[in-house]
Amino acid sequence: MPTLPQLIEEDIQQFDAVLQDLLERTEATTGLIVDKGGFLITSRGDGEQFDLTTIAALASGAYMANQTIANLVHETNFNNVYQQGEKYSMFCNCIDEHCLLIVIFEAHLSVGVVKYFAKPAAFQIATQIEAAHKRAPDAGLDLSVLNVADTSDFFKKR
Amino acid sequence: MAIINQATKELQVKIVYYGPAMCGKTTNLVQVHDHVQTAAGNKGKLVSLATSSDRTLFFDFLPIEAMSIKGFKTKFQLYTVPGQVIYNTTRQLVLRGVDGIVFVADSQYEKMQENVESFQNLEDNLRSLKQNLADIPYVLQYNKRDLPNVAPVEYMEFLLNNREVQVPSFTGVAHKCEGVFETLNMITRMLLNKYISQGTPQYA
Repeated sequence: MPTLPQLIEEDIQQFDAVLQDLLERTEATTGLIVDKGGFLITSRGDGEQFDLTTIAALASGAYMANQTIANLVHETNFNNVYQQGEKYSMFCNCIDEHCLLIVIFEAHLSVGVVKYFAKPAAFQIATQIEAAHKRAPDAGLDLSVLNVADTSDFFKKR
Repeated sequence: MAIINQATKELQVKIVYYGPAMCGKTTNLVQVHDHVQTAAGNKGKLVSLATSSDRTLFFDFLPIEAMSIKGFKTKFQLYTVPGQVIYNTTRQLVLRGVDGIVFVADSQYEKMQENVESFQNLEDNLRSLKQNLADIPYVLQYNKRDLPNVAPVEYMEFLLNNREVQVPSFTGVAHKCEGVFETLNMITRMLLNKYISQGTPQYA
């Protein structure tokens, strides 16, 4: 099971810079980097009007479903998925084996422009993830600062 | 795998509710959604991708934020899988990146075979993702204990919890919210303890 490498703040800053640049070039509304398991890693742009946590979960599920369809039609991968709407459209591009780049943009904008700029953006993000891999391929995380000896009240019933 | 976001001090964990068709997986999530006590604004919407007859088609999804532990906001993403046998590909998709599993079993006698088959299917699907159930925290919930034709808990333990290492199990009546929070709190505790001892999540 592939997992993300250990990412530090510098990585996230780099991701955010790439997303910001992508939004400025395409005039898209929101850009997200999402783990294929459904976690939102980071986002840029208008995050107020959308439920980004749920979008991340559903978009990764939809992308992975499309990947399975690709295999069924003897394709190794449908590298990207475009959902066309009347107000907003969504473009989803594979970054690497772990992550996806999702761009939400107003429907009147050209998907061609989004595709054109999303490709190098995905490459830049993949490069940063690769650098993170090389930096600390086996590094773990010390969670000993968290005291969770008793989580019986973690979720309380009303 | 769980993600720790050092930049925003967030811990994100994925828990999947697994089990045979109609065993009460979605009901567990509905009860958590309806009854969980959270500060305003940190309980997400329950998203259910279901058929017109309320059978889960893809998955149910409930993001909830628990209280902070030492400054870390803990965000839990609860998923269910579709129970019907034909949706196995979908179950594999939902299991991707799973951190903890709640196996919900139907306590009715006539459902024992389906329970065992679903449990074996879980192991098979994890293997297809190059994961091993022994490495993933999981708990069992014997649901529908209010029905008249239920099997004894000892029998269900023998069928489903008879491995080298026994895992915690709970009886439940999910539609009355009995056993739902006990199950969720136990898997949460097991997950976080695992990360403390092994340090496996990654930074983000």
